[in-house]
Amino acid sequence: MSRIIMRFTGVGGQGVLLAGEIFAAAKIKQGGYGVKTATYTSQVRGGPTVVDIQLSDEPVLYPYANDGEVDLMLSVAQVSYDQFKKGVKDGGDIIIDPNLVTPSEEDKKRWRIYEIPVITIAKEEVGNVITQSVVALAAANTFTRALDDDLLIETMLSKVPPKVHEANKKAYELGRKYALEALEKGPLK
Amino acid sequence: MSKREVISSGNDLAARAAVDAGCKFFGGYPITPSSEIMHTISDLLPKVGGACMQMEDEIAGICSAIGASMSGVRAMTATSGPGISLKAENIGLAQIAEVPLVIVNVMRGGPSTGLPTRVQQGDVLQAKNPTHGDVKTIVLCPGSLAECYTETVRAFNLADRFMQPVFVLLDETLGHMHAKAELPSLQEVEEGIKLRRQFVGDPADYRPYDVPDDEPAILNPMFKGYRYHYTGLHHGPTGFPTEDAEVCDRLIKRLFNKVDAHVDEIESYEEYLLDDAEYLVVAYGSTSLAAREAVNRLREEGVKIGMFRPITLFPSPDAKMKELQERFGNKVYMAELNMGQYVEAFERATGMHRDEFVTHFKANGRPISPADMVAKIKEELL
Repeated sequence: MSRIIMRFTGVGGQGVLLAGEIFAAAKIKQGGYGVKTATYTSQVRGGPTVVDIQLSDEPVLYPYANDGEVDLMLSVAQVSYDQFKKGVKDGGDIIIDPNLVTPSEEDKKRWRIYEIPVITIAKEEVGNVITQSVVALAAANTFTRALDDDLLIETMLSKVPPKVHEANKKAYELGRKYALEALEKGPLK
Repeated sequence: MSKREVISSGNDLAARAAVDAGCKFFGGYPITPSSEIMHTISDLLPKVGGACMQMEDEIAGICSAIGASMSGVRAMTATSGPGISLKAENIGLAQIAEVPLVIVNVMRGGPSTGLPTRVQQGDVLQAKNPTHGDVKTIVLCPGSLAECYTETVRAFNLADRFMQPVFVLLDETLGHMHAKAELPSLQEVEEGIKLRRQFVGDPADYRPYDVPDDEPAILNPMFKGYRYHYTGLHHGPTGFPTEDAEVCDRLIKRLFNKVDAHVDEIESYEEYLLDDAEYLVVAYGSTSLAAREAVNRLREEGVKIGMFRPITLFPSPDAKMKELQERFGNKVYMAELNMGQYVEAFERATGMHRDEFVTHFKANGRPISPADMVAKIKEELL
């Protein structure tokens, strides 16, 4: 791995920040550099939120993703999808929650767009909507193969309360499973 | 002594630094993007016998910290630009009464409530002159996560050395970015602590403000038998108000001179790849993160370019900036997230007007990216 740049976008209150912290901490634990930088609005809930995650073997100086350099974007809100998609490099991957984001025909030509119903998985299959950031974490790691799954799970568990360990383990497994299925199915045409 | 590797944010590190430097009191009022400082320190201070108080507003925040410092402990407050505006009057009190205090300002978009969650370096000149009247402030500006820690520690030592508030200017980017930082060992920090001087003679002989013309007052902790007066009015040797022309003249000159005469103890800057450079980049704070990457990218293309990064913004490194300007002429590029506040210091130090070199200003709450810098440098400097 030289450098992997990921961008998680949603709206304030969805909890996308935590996934970024877990990624950065796991990369540092493995050896290397991880930076997480969030940008959000002054709305407490509902404003577009973006988290840039850079994982690298070399020091990362500038903490934001440069426009056009993002390898993978994951989006669970239309407003932030529209605002931040331009950061993704041409031909890069975008994971969207199909219940919340609708890409344009033009977008489908420019990027490889995959559908994973992140929120529904967390809400209905795990039974706790708050685990969506872990579903997203697992999906992103399955796509980028950035880090060893066990290391990521271990780091994740160290950052969530023990009473939700089981739910988050389940969320991780489901995120990985859906991501593998999405990859097999291929991008939207 | 082994270094400590941590994964943290700038705000968290500023709070940790304060506690490691012996801070025992924090008074403040939460405000984005500085709130995490109070959040962290409210957890840490009670564990070391200190106290964190959320006051009713920003003004009470700094007043409680000034009071704690008067009683003899290291104290801090943290806020963002709007909070500094509210604290302005009492910053002046701490300046004239010579109360050591660390004030962290995590800068956000301004003026007024501005852009609460976004980055700007718009409070640089406010930090230079934060209050009415003539003051000589000390302003430190970290340029990395590690420096959010080390400069906060240094701020406490400088506050006690010069008996006045010391500003630590973070910004939203540094405050909130989350990554790896290498910190000095706790032992190294503790061994570097230099507390304020104290008078040890007969209390009857104690005249706290009767000090040489280039030294700060010697203020013993209150309630220990050394009696004196604190006031925001001009005052004489024991702290009682006076309007005596000579005493007032001596006081105001000493408040300036205690800093000016010891600039060598305060000045701090970094020179990055300047040895063989033909072009000069000047940047500070979080803007220097992008500038360093821009310099690296241009170096890869064979451009001989380097960066000067002031860490102590005020007193400004005038002699060094003059020396650099004489060497680089107008081959200078200066970037900051405001409409040109530190350029004023550069102009004053060098005698060169901003129209004569390349400036890159942005004040819409967004950072300047390395790519933007490289493009501007190629277009206007090379």
